[in-house]
Amino acid sequence: MRKYASAVSHKEMDRWPEDRLKRYQLRALRRVLRYAYQELPFYREHFDKASFVPDKVKTLADFARVPIFTKKEALQALRQKKSFQAGLERLDAPGEGVLCMTSGTLGTSFLYLSKKWAAIRGDSLARAYRWAGLRRGMRMLMAAPAWHSLAVQETRVMRRIGATCVIPWGTFLPQYAPHFVDAILDVKPAFVSIFLPMLYALLAECRRREMNPAHAFKNVEAILVVGAPMTPRSRLALKKELGVADIFEGLGNPEGLTAMECPFHAGHHIFADCCYVEIVDPATGLLLPAGQRGNVVITSLIPHGSLYLRYDTEDLGVILPDKCKCRRSWPLMEVYDRRSNTLRVAGQEIVPYDVRLCLETLPELVNIPFALIRSETKMDSLGLLIQKPPTGNVKQLGTRINGLIREKFGLDCRADWAEELPQRWKGVTVIEEKDWRATHG
Amino acid sequence: MDGADPMSQSKPPSHFTPRSLRALRAKAMRRPEDFAATFPVTTLEGLAAAKIKSGDPYALRRTKKNTPKVALQLEYDMETALYAALDSNELSRYAEALRRCWSLLGIAKGDRVGIFDYGTSPVSYLASSTFTPYLQRGAADILGCLPICNDGAANLSQRAVEIVKFVRPRVMFLRTDCLHPFTAEISRGSMPLSSYVDTLVAVENEGVLARAERDAYQAKLGVPIYRLMRADAAMFLAPECHRCGLFHLWSDLYHVEAPEPQTDRETGRQASRLVITNWFATSCPTIRYVSQISACLQPPGCPADARDLRISA
Repeated sequence: MRKYASAVSHKEMDRWPEDRLKRYQLRALRRVLRYAYQELPFYREHFDKASFVPDKVKTLADFARVPIFTKKEALQALRQKKSFQAGLERLDAPGEGVLCMTSGTLGTSFLYLSKKWAAIRGDSLARAYRWAGLRRGMRMLMAAPAWHSLAVQETRVMRRIGATCVIPWGTFLPQYAPHFVDAILDVKPAFVSIFLPMLYALLAECRRREMNPAHAFKNVEAILVVGAPMTPRSRLALKKELGVADIFEGLGNPEGLTAMECPFHAGHHIFADCCYVEIVDPATGLLLPAGQRGNVVITSLIPHGSLYLRYDTEDLGVILPDKCKCRRSWPLMEVYDRRSNTLRVAGQEIVPYDVRLCLETLPELVNIPFALIRSETKMDSLGLLIQKPPTGNVKQLGTRINGLIREKFGLDCRADWAEELPQRWKGVTVIEEKDWRATHG
Repeated sequence: MDGADPMSQSKPPSHFTPRSLRALRAKAMRRPEDFAATFPVTTLEGLAAAKIKSGDPYALRRTKKNTPKVALQLEYDMETALYAALDSNELSRYAEALRRCWSLLGIAKGDRVGIFDYGTSPVSYLASSTFTPYLQRGAADILGCLPICNDGAANLSQRAVEIVKFVRPRVMFLRTDCLHPFTAEISRGSMPLSSYVDTLVAVENEGVLARAERDAYQAKLGVPIYRLMRADAAMFLAPECHRCGLFHLWSDLYHVEAPEPQTDRETGRQASRLVITNWFATSCPTIRYVSQISACLQPPGCPADARDLRISA
């Protein structure tokens, strides 16, 4: 571990005064800018094309002029070079790193995760696991080893904290839920790190076994979930159903974003030691102030491995204007969904997360899967496909849903009910109407 | 306990210490027939029964009271899940076994290695210290290679093809149950696989891809396909050698018996279920584990390494 000691190991960094934090971030940003321009062909081309000179960045306001890029451009570079070495990475000596993949609707890209990167990012992430209660000697259930970038970081987290781990067979797909439940029952981890959709699959497996989920999780003290946004009501309902002391949510991506909840659960603290987050208006490219939603643009502050610098994640998010009661100075943020999952209905932008917030005012619908139906033509009303809840009269629920949607969004709404959301759409928050009609006439 | 002759009486695995295991190994090498006569075999069914009866996830094999650094659920379709417990030393020795497999398969410094298997397979988690907590050096760290793991679900074959196209691994390990979808994706893309990859290695837990099937895929894909033998309950790995066509194994890591050979009606070959003893598993010793792998032992003498014992399957 000493060989790759973290460049930043300030325990109290999350309580630095704001001006000290900004000075640190500016230094780190200027360092990665220099590194990117000198060492990484992708950025040299990208900056030269935009006639951008990195040395001219003297302030955080100057940094906002660094040209942004998206996944589409990263994939173009990959395809042009016909190699995983798209120019966003400098490989260390052989044996000093691994490759991971990220997949999405646009395609698959590759990330080079050097040991130096893993050490810095993992040491940073360990803070969040400590917030969530992971301690030396505790046993943690770890999902998705080897192929997922989160697991690469968790490998370091466990060593840093001194926790032990149990790894269930398989991967985080619902068909492996029985293995995960077995591992929790057999080896009794006190801490579970898991992807939210998989946690729901575990709940479904408990119900299939006619087992109270709280019984299965009785030795689990805390759960850390990532992978999909939870509403506050969802979190509380899950916590109650599982009988755990707390559930913490994390946001992140392998390109550089880390934002994690503290015990106050007021939002996700941006891990300012490793990443810099901006919210940008996709139409103008201008920065948006705290409290306004826009595209999440991230910059990794780690000059190792694959470097993403002013990368537009095309996720819809916000930096929250209020400070957290924990008094940590790292700003709070939320990410709601992919920008591509935004629907335009009667001139309004509607995001599935906001619809969920609305639906979950009805206790019967907390944690019930649903999706929005998107039409190719102009939409004047909202279409919903909702899985029938175990309790409640769907006709009455439908009436109440209409009332809530009208009150919140000023829109009419039609709710269709399904016994179970079709497998191909499980976990999908927006379904295209043409696909829905093709299947259901 | 250490002073007692380990061969004089059969002890349950939980009573072994690293020292007594070393003594046992020395005796087993000197008097293998006495070793086989003294120690009863361990079976998957026996492990499952011990776990169900005791509630101990390690089936009463655990030698240490402390929590293992890493507990891995094994790939077995039994009525109850089975687990292996590993500490840092064991992870290192197990990774050394994988390293030897890689070296025999021709993987060397600077090579890229693709893995189409679950992260929970030893083929994946032993590849790099970055993949697994408390693994000091994985096979890629020792040899100086760049690994990438795809996960092991068959419906991720398209991603495996992306690895082939953009990473061009010298060697690609893949689960035998992913061979068919992978081949289908390669065919769909009309890709000349040999332009991207030198070798494929088919991996299976407690089984070996049949030669005829391997030959058929080899002909279809146009690259050599070797096989890697795995028996996770014994933390056993053995690679097929490109020079002699047999599977190599190492006496400092494993003791393998092939008792009571039977004649296969179809092939006429003599084979037994391999009985494996693992010499580095000190947290959960595996003594005379009866695997599902049907094979027979062959004498050493391969030009690649004349010291290695060998198995034909």
